[in-house]
This record gives sequence, structure tokens and C-alpha cells, in this order.
Amino acid sequence: MNQALLEKFVIYLQKANWLIFGPTLIPLDSLDEEEISPYLTAHQPQTKKDNGLILIKQIEKPTELVLDDRLPFYSFKHFFIPEGETLFKYKNNSLKESFEEQKVALLGVNLLDLKAINLYDQVFEKDPYYQARRRKILIVGSSSVPEISNNIFAQKYEEDILEHLPFDIFFANDQQPTINNQHFKVFSGSIKGQRILEHFGYKDYQHIQFSGPIKEGKPDEQMERLRDKLKNKHNQKIWDELGTRCIECGKCTLSCPTCFCFRVDDYPGLEKNSGARVRCWDSCFYQEFSEVSGPSTSSGQAPKFLKTTAERIHFWYFHKFARIPDEFNFIGCVGCRRCAKVCPVGIDIKEVLKEIEAS
Amino acid sequence: MNNPYLSEPAKIVKITPQTDTVKLFRFEFVQKVWGYNFSFAPGQFIELSIPGCGEAPFAPCNAAGAKYLELCIRDIGRLTHKLHEMKVGDKVGIRGPYGNGWPIINQKSKIKNQNGEKKNLLIVVGGLGLIPLRTLILGKDKFLGKDIKVQIFYGARSPQEMLFRYEYAKWRENGIDVKLTIDKECANWVGCVGLVTTLFDKFPIVENAQAFLCGPPVMYKFVLEKLKQKEVTDQDIYLSLERRMHCGLGVCQHCAVGPYYTCKDGPVFSYEQIKNIPGVI
Ligand SMILES: Cc1cc2nc3c(=O)[nH]c(=O)nc-3n(C[C@H](O)[C@H](O)[C@H](O)COP(=O)(O)OP(=O)(O)OC[C@H]3O[C@@H](n4cnc5c(N)ncnc54)[C@H](O)[C@@H]3O)c2cc1C
Ligand code: SF4
Ligand code: SF4
Ligand code: FES
Repeated sequence: MNQALLEKFVIYLQKANWLIFGPTLIPLDSLDEEEISPYLTAHQPQTKKDNGLILIKQIEKPTELVLDDRLPFYSFKHFFIPEGETLFKYKNNSLKESFEEQKVALLGVNLLDLKAINLYDQVFEKDPYYQARRRKILIVGSSSVPEISNNIFAQKYEEDILEHLPFDIFFANDQQPTINNQHFKVFSGSIKGQRILEHFGYKDYQHIQFSGPIKEGKPDEQMERLRDKLKNKHNQKIWDELGTRCIECGKCTLSCPTCFCFRVDDYPGLEKNSGARVRCWDSCFYQEFSEVSGPSTSSGQAPKFLKTTAERIHFWYFHKFARIPDEFNFIGCVGCRRCAKVCPVGIDIKEVLKEIEAS
Repeated sequence: MNNPYLSEPAKIVKITPQTDTVKLFRFEFVQKVWGYNFSFAPGQFIELSIPGCGEAPFAPCNAAGAKYLELCIRDIGRLTHKLHEMKVGDKVGIRGPYGNGWPIINQKSKIKNQNGEKKNLLIVVGGLGLIPLRTLILGKDKFLGKDIKVQIFYGARSPQEMLFRYEYAKWRENGIDVKLTIDKECANWVGCVGLVTTLFDKFPIVENAQAFLCGPPVMYKFVLEKLKQKEVTDQDIYLSLERRMHCGLGVCQHCAVGPYYTCKDGPVFSYEQIKNIPGVI
């Protein structure tokens, strides 16, 4: 498939009522200050500063789509796990379930963000809200891999990883792309993807049968090493040191594609005795995360189980590099380094992982 | 697909005040058949919800096999306060039960030591910690076997704070050794005074004991010391952990302790299993 055909494909999807989202280049001068804080833009590497930022936006014109090795500033997480979603609407005492209806096509999902979707699929396997939304999402992956500085585990594109990635359609760069003339090899990864390609009239694709998120054979060595260090060789020094630096802003959790923890709360509506039960993002860096009710401590705080910053940042790492591997047999980090980019105090996961491994 | 967040409507059928701030609520499920099929193991918990106030975890505490569900609840926050204002006939939602309760007979881990010898049971509880053990106490013979000796060490702030106090006579009749203590000296109290640990100094613990603990974290620290002195092994100590919970399903991460979820893998853990996790107690 070439660039021209890809553009036709985008228009085809739009006509078929898909809301299309994908990476686009937002020039810096048109960036919404609220979207990206001045602090963060100031910390962007120079080249990006000149060009702007890659953000995932609704694609109106096919030419807006950018498929290269620049990683979108935020991930595709919120399409799968929204910041806030209504589980039930209630009126007096009766609860009504509420499910997603809109069809969404995600174009140009890079390899790292695809890996994160593997995690969502596992974590929310039995969740009817997730599953309803997931069924309405078309994933069009792309072989773009972020430049090595933003790719901690040096993930490369090779055809044999395709069977472990959750996509409907996949575009693999066939040759070194030039700006206006990209050529793609096309794969389908689901019946949904096949149907859409066929209906669009494109036959030159290969089908890949999804065979689960993990490669067969030995478990990932780095995963094993990190998990062993965290579980069996706890080194408090690392966490105490990070605890003195981290200011618990929670930005890393917002930007991390694999952070999914949530809280469930009821919000009253305008009508009497009505409202909604809402599931929304939470962060283990927030004080309330582990709070329980009971008599306050001597310092006047509510009792909680993650008491110090050190404990909280340790909890964050332990989840990604010990609990997730225990549960799903893969590492809970895709190596995108977004967390490091947004951290106002410069905590870099790459460095922390080195320290854990050396401990 | 089943919706695990959906709760079953249940009606309050009886309210019995226990202390100034604690009431025992009896519920019946609106869907009778569903209700009759509802069962739980001692030590498990449910999520109770009131639209507008959200959800919170509580431990069912009625006698096993009853056609109703009993929850003993302290008025302490938004949801519990609303519940305390409710009357017989009002409705709440209940989902669950969740987690793993106390190790009992007809479960994989029977109350036996490695030699297959049966263990007696020492229950050490403080404050509200007695709640998740009431079902076990009421169903002692069924859950533990007839020949198991049960001893309870229970500490409360004052005699008026003692939960289920009108039942102790019956428990004693049933052969259970109930030892009580209150935090501070007060009129009309002739029993032991001091934290629950003082009971260890006053009375010998039942021989060949396994211990079940439930209470505030500070209590665990001191009770564990006492148990160590009495040479109860870490494998023979079980404790119920309290953590903040939002899903009850092992997903939201609020209740995680090391590699475990309190909601799914607990709330009851053997001390052996969790003792090396930093900050667990
Ligand atoms: C396994 C388990 C069993 C429990 N059993 C009982 C019981 O039998 N009787 C009883 O009175 N209490 C019990 N609790 C404590 C009870 O859940 C809290 O008192 C209750 O959540 C307070 O809710 P609230 O809305 O009134 O308080 P608020 O302080 O307004 O709480 C708001 C939210 O915080 C969370 N939260 C606050 N405290 C706790 C807590 N201690 N544990 C978990 N989540 C919390 C809840 O999600 C709640 O929705 C139990 C807790 C756990 C974890
Ligand atoms: S590198 Fe950071 S942001 Fe990216 S997945 Fe790992 S922890 Fe999350
Ligand atoms: S972004 Fe940095 S400072 Fe903020 S919570 Fe994360 S590690 Fe801490
Ligand atoms: S309560 Fe959500 S993981 Fe345990």
C-alpha cells in the first residue's frame, strides 16, 4: 500500500462512520498551554521544540497523519481506559448500566503502545465496560519504533513479533520512508481487520493469527532479573533516595501507558437522588490512594498504608516489574520513557532500572 | 458478559445497636432465590453500596446457612453514616463475596500441622476485629470439628464497646474460652484491664495452638511478639489485613501488598506468606 492508497483508506474509514485518531504534528506555537505545560515543553529535546509535538488527535484530513519514529507525547491509553467512565447511572435506588457506543479507529499505533494494549486486554479481560469499548475500537498498528533514546528495552520491528501484538490491521514500512512516499506492507490480525480491508477492496495483505502476548520459549531474562531483585533483594536505599526527590505530582502515572489503576466513586447529578457511579484514573502517588477510615495518626493524618513517598514510588515500580510479571508473565513497562519526560524532578526510569539491577 | 460491578438489592430487615457507633444490620436479598443461594466462607467480605455514597467492604458475620446476611458496621464516614441513618425496609446493594477467609475444615489447608495433628485455635482480636470471626465462632463445630478447643482473647476500649456481648454466655456454653480485656479501668468492670496483649500475661494460651488475628495494625505488632514468645510458628498464624478497596476484584491496585491483592488473595493471609513484605503490618 502506498501513501495515496493509505489516504484513500482513511477517507474510506471516515465514510464508514469511524471516528479516526492518530499521531499528528502540532506546531509548537499552536500548542494549547493547558495541554502541555510550559515546563514540559521547555524540557523537550531541541529538535522537537523546533518542530512541535506529536500528539494523538482526531484525523480530519488523511495528510495530517504522521507515521514516523517520533513517539506521541501521550499514549493511546485513554481510548481503552478513559480518564473517567460511567459504570452506572442511578435514580433513587435503581442502577442502570452504561456502555460505550462510538466506533473509534486508531491509526498508526506504534509498537510500544501496541504492547500496552496487550496489558489492557489481560487486566480487563472480564470487564464488560472495557470489552464493550474494545469491540468498537479498530486498531491499525504501524511498525514505527521510537528512536532509541525513548525505547528502553531496544524494541525492534521484526515480522515475527506481529503474532504477539493485538492489532486489526498493521502497516509495516517496506523501505526507508521518505517524507511523501511511504510504502507499506499490510497485515491483518483479526476477522474485523480482514473484513474492512476486503470491503475497502484491498487484497494484497497477509493474515497473522494472534498467538498471545508472550513469545514462546524462555521467559524474558530482564523481566526475571528485575522481579527477583524487587521481590527477594529489596534495597531500601534506592527508594529512600527517590523518595527525597519525587514530589508526588502523579504526572508519570498519567503519561504512562501501563498505569491503569482506578477508583470508583458516586457523583450526584442535578436531579434529586440521581447521579452516576464513575470509574476514573487514580495514582498510587496520591495520599488518598491507600487511606482507610479510622482515628487519625498523631500527626493528624488519616491512617494509610503507603505512608512515605519512598513507599509510594516503590509501589509504582513493584507493580510494573513484579506484580504484573507475576500475573501475566510479561513486564509491565513498554519502555517508552514517557514517565521520564514528564517528571519535573528528572527521575528517569532507565537509571532506576539500572540501579535495581545492580542492587 | 457478567458485570462484576453490579450489586444485588438487599433490604434491611433488622437493626440491633451494638455500641454508640456500631450497629448490626440484618439484610434479606430482594431476589429471594438468589439470596438463598448466597453463601460465604468465614473471613470473606462483600462490597455494600448505596447510590450516592459509593461502595465499601464489610465482613459478613451471621451464622452460616442463615437465610439472611448480617453486617456489623461502624459509623465512620460517608457511606457508613448514611447506612446508620437507614431504617428497616430501606435498600442497599451487595456484591460478593470476595477473597479467601480463615483456613477451615473442608478446605485445602485444614487446621492441622505437618504431622497431620489437629490444632486448637486461639483467636486474638481487637475492636471491630471480632466481626469477621463471629461466623466461625457460631459455627465452630462445623468449621473446625467438634474436638477443637477454641480460645478468644478480645480487647475493646470499654465494656460498652464490646461487640456481640450478649452472646458470650452462649459461646462459653458451647465450650469456647472467652477472655476479655478493656483498655482503661472503669466502674463495674471486674475483669482484666490493659491491651489485648496483657491477656497473654494473665492466662496460658490453649496448647498446640494455631492463631487467628484481626484488629488494628498496631495490635498485630505486639501480638506477633507474644505469639513468638509462646512459640507459635509463623505458619500457624493467620491474620486478616485491612486495606483500602475500590474494586474487590484484584484490578484497581488499591489493596495490593507486595505480590498479593488483599481483596483477592486475602484478606486472610498466613503470617509466613507475608512477613517479608516491607510495610505489610
Ligand atoms: C476486608 C474488609 C472488611 C471490613 N469489614 C468491616 C466490617 O465488618 N465492619 C466495619 O464497620 N468496617 C469494616 N471494614 C472497614 C470499612 O470498609 C470502612 O470503615 C468503610 O470503607 C468506611 O466507608 P465510609 O464511606 O463510611 O468512609 P469514608 O472514610 O468516607 O470512605 C470513603 C471510601 O474510602 C474507602 N475506605 C475507607 N476506609 C476503608 C477501609 N477501612 N477499608 C477499605 N476501604 C476503605 C472506601 O472505598 C470508601 O468508599 C472492612 C474493611 C475491609 C478492607
Ligand atoms: S517507560 Fe515509563 S511511561 Fe513508558 S511504560 Fe515504562 S513506566 Fe510507563
Ligand atoms: S512524575 Fe516524577 S515527581 Fe511526579 S510523581 Fe512521578 S516520579 Fe514523582
Ligand atoms: S480492591 Fe481493587 S485490587 Fe483489591
